[in-house]
Amino acid sequence: MDEIGSFLNRPKAYCNIDGVGELGLGFMGLGYAAIEWLKLHSPRNSVWNQMYTRFIWIGVMCAIIHYGTKAIKNHITFPRTGFVEYRKRDTLWLPLIVSFVVSAMVSAGVVFALHRRWNLTTPVSLFGLVFAAAYAYGIARTAVRWKWGVVGVMVIGSLIIATLPAHVVGAVANHSWITRQFRAELVGATLLNITLYGATTLISGGISFWLYLRHTSVPSQGSE
Amino acid sequence: MTRQIRTIAELDRVIHEPGRLMLVALLSAVESSDFLYLQHETEMNKGTLSSHLWKLEEAGYVDVSKTYRGKVPQTLLRLTPSGRKAFEQYRKKVKEAL
Repeated sequence: MDEIGSFLNRPKAYCNIDGVGELGLGFMGLGYAAIEWLKLHSPRNSVWNQMYTRFIWIGVMCAIIHYGTKAIKNHITFPRTGFVEYRKRDTLWLPLIVSFVVSAMVSAGVVFALHRRWNLTTPVSLFGLVFAAAYAYGIARTAVRWKWGVVGVMVIGSLIIATLPAHVVGAVANHSWITRQFRAELVGATLLNITLYGATTLISGGISFWLYLRHTSVPSQGSE
Repeated sequence: MTRQIRTIAELDRVIHEPGRLMLVALLSAVESSDFLYLQHETEMNKGTLSSHLWKLEEAGYVDVSKTYRGKVPQTLLRLTPSGRKAFEQYRKKVKEAL
């Protein structure tokens, strides 16, 4: 029965066989960190601090990820290792519901904590561990062992961020208008964690893509 | 014990063969896939894979359609509703037997 279970899970693992899923996540993480950094280091009334800029930025990133993924899958992955059409309920509803519930709970928690004026620096510093756990959950169903090293880098990086002196972490947001509303080390820890997650995921995706290209080739055409 | 043997004897022979079981398990987890994907995952050669797929198609468990992806011919395979039902029953019976 375990053998059947492994075959039932293979199509899900196949989704990121070329590392494109990680490339997209890493790109999104770094893109988000970039706009946050621009927001911090621009005057409060600048274009980078407008809500519409954020929507446009995220929209452009989503479009690049969507069409980039489609192009890589159509021109590289499908001709090499085959095409898979996933069941709609697997690809759409479950991630949407999970994302909505998690976002709502985190947002409610943050609003509650800010309202009570709790110091969130330590929990935010350790937020990288949540990213690492989510990443570990994603790769657990694959047999790619070296990716556990990426989880290790995420965990160590997150712990280093959490143990850095407050003035070092806070230096990321120093002299920003936002420090009038939030502590500099809180903003710095958030930005560093998102950057760490984005960079490690992007590098891991890049390595996966390179290995995929190295170990696969387009088969010769013949009768099926 | 007798009940276990009876359950094993009642297993669907079309699905019970290891090669076809792999194919049905893979196809049950997706909407559809092409021949190349099944070949990649099962590491079967084209002849063996075609033979298993033909048996599954003959039993009405798999629907085979020939299309083109750009200029490249593509064989798309999907599990039929009766194929899904047969696979679910097969899993249920194996669990009972174990």
